[in-house]
Amino acid sequence: MASSGSALLRSIPAVSAVLLALAASLDRGSCSEQVPLIMWSSEGIFWPQESPPTAGHIVGQQQLTSYLQKALDVGPRNVVLFLQDKMSMEDFTKYGGVFGNKQDSVFPSLEGALRVAVSPLVLPAVSWPASNAVISQLQDQLETSALYMDPETLSQLRLNASSPALLVFRLPYSAGADLMSTKDILSENDAVIGQVLSIMKTQSVPYTALYTGLQPSGDVVSFSVEAGLGGGRSLLQARGGYRERERERERERERRIRERAGVYPPVEFKEEEKTCILLWAKGLSVSILRSGRWEEHDLTSSTFGEGGNVSLHGSSCDKNKARLVLNYKGILGHRSFKLIFAMSQRHYKVSSRRWFTLDSLELEYDGTKATFNGSRQIYAPVEYSYRCQSVTSYRWPLLVPRSAKDPANQWKVAFEDFQIQGFNLSGSEFSYASDCAGFFSAGIWMGLMTSLLMVLVLTYGLHMIMQLNTMDRFDDPKGPAISVPQTE
Amino acid sequence: MNGHAILYTGVTLAFWSTILIVGICYTIFDLGFRFDVAWFLTETSPFMWANLGIGLAISLSVVGAAWGIYITGSSIIGGGVKAPRIKTKNLVRYVSVTQRIKIYRILVKVFSNSFSGTTPETIGARNYQAGYSMFGAGLTVGFSNLFCGICVGIVGSGAALADAQNPSLFVKILIVEIFGSAIGLFGVIVAILQTSKVKMGD
Repeated sequence: MASSGSALLRSIPAVSAVLLALAASLDRGSCSEQVPLIMWSSEGIFWPQESPPTAGHIVGQQQLTSYLQKALDVGPRNVVLFLQDKMSMEDFTKYGGVFGNKQDSVFPSLEGALRVAVSPLVLPAVSWPASNAVISQLQDQLETSALYMDPETLSQLRLNASSPALLVFRLPYSAGADLMSTKDILSENDAVIGQVLSIMKTQSVPYTALYTGLQPSGDVVSFSVEAGLGGGRSLLQARGGYRERERERERERERRIRERAGVYPPVEFKEEEKTCILLWAKGLSVSILRSGRWEEHDLTSSTFGEGGNVSLHGSSCDKNKARLVLNYKGILGHRSFKLIFAMSQRHYKVSSRRWFTLDSLELEYDGTKATFNGSRQIYAPVEYSYRCQSVTSYRWPLLVPRSAKDPANQWKVAFEDFQIQGFNLSGSEFSYASDCAGFFSAGIWMGLMTSLLMVLVLTYGLHMIMQLNTMDRFDDPKGPAISVPQTE
Repeated sequence: MNGHAILYTGVTLAFWSTILIVGICYTIFDLGFRFDVAWFLTETSPFMWANLGIGLAISLSVVGAAWGIYITGSSIIGGGVKAPRIKTKNLVRYVSVTQRIKIYRILVKVFSNSFSGTTPETIGARNYQAGYSMFGAGLTVGFSNLFCGICVGIVGSGAALADAQNPSLFVKILIVEIFGSAIGLFGVIVAILQTSKVKMGD
């Protein structure tokens, strides 16, 4: 609703918009960490078309299992799995003849098979731990063990349509002893695929075929736009020094956080089956100052995503207050560690609107409570969610320790790409995100104001000067010209 | 319409239509809450406001003085052709107008300290008061001197020409000019009152 409006308001010129999109797509680290997966069945067998994954969506373990399950329930239970050591989308774009040069494609057999298949399933991005485990998944689902084969042994095998079978064909990727180019290797693999498929055809047994890789190939140039990280300036800067190293470590950390895919649902607290509080962050870390050194602990993986096993015990929400409690174990030497987000909402008379604030962020560990105040900067209208790229207690701090003696002074908390909502939730999705960054910063406003004033003054002066005319009242074009005598 | 008028109307139209369209967009998309005047007033630096005040004080006073001298000067020169005696009497008084500009000394006095905060809490209310007071004082002095200067200039031009005709008129017109100067003086007094309690610092 309002997100399109804000896009209008941020009237970014077209060039930078394209660059941003490009940077965003590259910066996801997408193409170098996922493996494509292609699944089809022998001709004539129809299986229900799954809704294809949205562009950029990375299929995780569970989703892949559900895809396989659905396919194997309906389709044939003889599975031919072509498992390449490494595979990436770039292999197909580089060698698949996709730029109008169909004749250069190294996948003729694969293309032929897909053309004939009724509804092939193409998943361009499967997370590679999931694709790595595809053999075990298929074994579980078919309740049979995998048979590693090559085309010669296949021709000697007699397959039965009624009993399930899992035939795995391992295909190489990296250059063997004879240092073949990738193109030749892929071409050979494709030839093997063609051979196998033709053998299966002669056996006239319906089969399901899968073509995927164990790991992403990383063969291709995957560059991430390092704008703003100062990567290009390091040549000009003098290297060395403790401060420099600290900054570099910080930059490295930030880069690692930024390159995370960050595709997981938010932490959701439900009260009586109705979602009440949502929290999402791309990175979350806490650090404690011990004997002069900061010890950091990254809590992202235990809070969000597939490995997130944080307990929300103790959370509550009602009409005016919401409290989200994240319970961890064994953080930085503390047995029990809690992160408590306390939010409240009320009506403010001057703006005649209801706003919610993140009143405090408490860290409770071993009986001690460290409190960060956030109500000053972290607020949004109650109908919307609050989102900020960086919510930290040390870098442009939005969270400040409650007092100078509070234990929070020994802690550093950092959220990257933080979004929270505690009220007015309908469904389990965030409402429009009120961003902490406005369109113009304070400095831009100051500059604009002063420049406007100068321009006004300049305009006024220019106007006055331009309306000065030489006196022509006593000009007499027909009279004698003025003569200035040379002598005194 | 001549060229200037077209240019000015064009620029004014562009400015106001931008403001109008931005305002309409904010209203339609229910983003009116992002138009935050308090944020603007607390995030912009008090240094900017104080310095703008000082700058405006000096520059507007100078504009007023210059305008006045320009008007009177042309009359004196014109009248002085036939009555050269008016030159000295009339020119002296214009030194006094520029005395008003001495206000800047008073304003700079409060500016000898500066503060070291960066966020609204650390800057503190007193520094904000200092910034806004100096801006206001600067505007006060600047505009009052501007109009005082113009006023004195026009009256002085009439005085010079009257003096050229009839020397006894000079003293009477001087009285009117004194009232004109008083405008500028009021501005100076008010500005001194505005900045009297102002002190920047931690």
